Amino acid sequence: MSGGIENMSAGMIWMLLLLAIASTYLWRGLGTVIAARIDPESKLFQWIACIAYGLLAALISRIVFLPVGILEKTELIDRLGAVVFGFIVFFIFKRHIGLGTLSTAGMFMVLVWARGQGFL
Amino acid sequence: MHRRVWDSMSTLAGGTTIPVPDHQDKSFRALFFMGARDAFSLPAFMVAASMLGYGAMVHSAGLGLGVAIVSTLGIWGLPGQVAFIEYMLLGAPLASMMIGVSLANMRFLPMTLSLVPMFKGSKSGWRWRYLWAQFMSVNTWVGLLRRVPELGPDQRAAFYTGFSVLCMSAGAVGVTTGFLLAEAMPFYVTVTLVFLNPIYFAFVFAAMRVRACLLAFAAGAIAGPLIYLLTPEWSLPIAGVLAGTVGFYLDQLLRRST
Repeated sequence: MSGGIENMSAGMIWMLLLLAIASTYLWRGLGTVIAARIDPESKLFQWIACIAYGLLAALISRIVFLPVGILEKTELIDRLGAVVFGFIVFFIFKRHIGLGTLSTAGMFMVLVWARGQGFL
Repeated sequence: MHRRVWDSMSTLAGGTTIPVPDHQDKSFRALFFMGARDAFSLPAFMVAASMLGYGAMVHSAGLGLGVAIVSTLGIWGLPGQVAFIEYMLLGAPLASMMIGVSLANMRFLPMTLSLVPMFKGSKSGWRWRYLWAQFMSVNTWVGLLRRVPELGPDQRAAFYTGFSVLCMSAGAVGVTTGFLLAEAMPFYVTVTLVFLNPIYFAFVFAAMRVRACLLAFAAGAIAGPLIYLLTPEWSLPIAGVLAGTVGFYLDQLLRRST
């Protein structure tokens, strides 16, 4: 999989990093410029907030169902099983964010570990 | 009038609606520490833990600690950071790397659009808005929005700075630790730490009380993977606008019928 990085000089790596930072700041800067024209009490503002939530949900859900990179090496059933388990704990404990997160992560780690050991 | 509108916003970002305490007399210092305390309650630990996983990832990619830290504080958004490392590993063309990282962080556009107007009405807060945009991550965004109802425009910058500085420090500590411990960290730990971040946000948003946002969130969760199958590159903006619009109008509709 690697092959890119060994052939790169340090200067090249830092230049690429700066470009990555700049291409991220593009959205931040653009949003800040446009924000000057947005009235925080308008319907438009509420609609944009909804878009932000919808987009974040789409991203999270995509990471669970169709991840790229390191998470790609894990099984869908492990990711999904851990999330379902976490949500059950979350609702049992009256929507407790910390417990939901920890039980999902704990379950996921156990599942991935067990699979690595050949138990599953 | 103002108070009432902020009240309706309070629930935008999650958590319970709390009786509004008065912070009018608080100094910059007190507000800064209030933000830092908020961050310390859970968000900073989540940042540190996810960056631990990212640090290990950078190490295994064969990149240096400097790159790990600068990419964390500079990109300051885990999906974009992960995309950056993966493009480096693939040795993908420059344009493709920039587009990939950029698209992975596209959420920052609607997020700044809903964060930056919170500093309107404050001279100093508004002047530094381009810096606040850089401080913004999902964590700091939620962290500020949930306190907006109780903070006046002049108080938000101090609170937000305290919150952000603590989160960014936690991120730097986490990524450094992860980088140094990378070889001692087995795969199942690294991969869990990378998974931790999206999971944590799923619960933060699932705990929200505002109907429009919850509806948008649910719609996005369904639309996200489906649209990704059709068009991987453009799935996020399309799913975001679609889900946001569905949530917004469904809420209006329910409001009218009750």
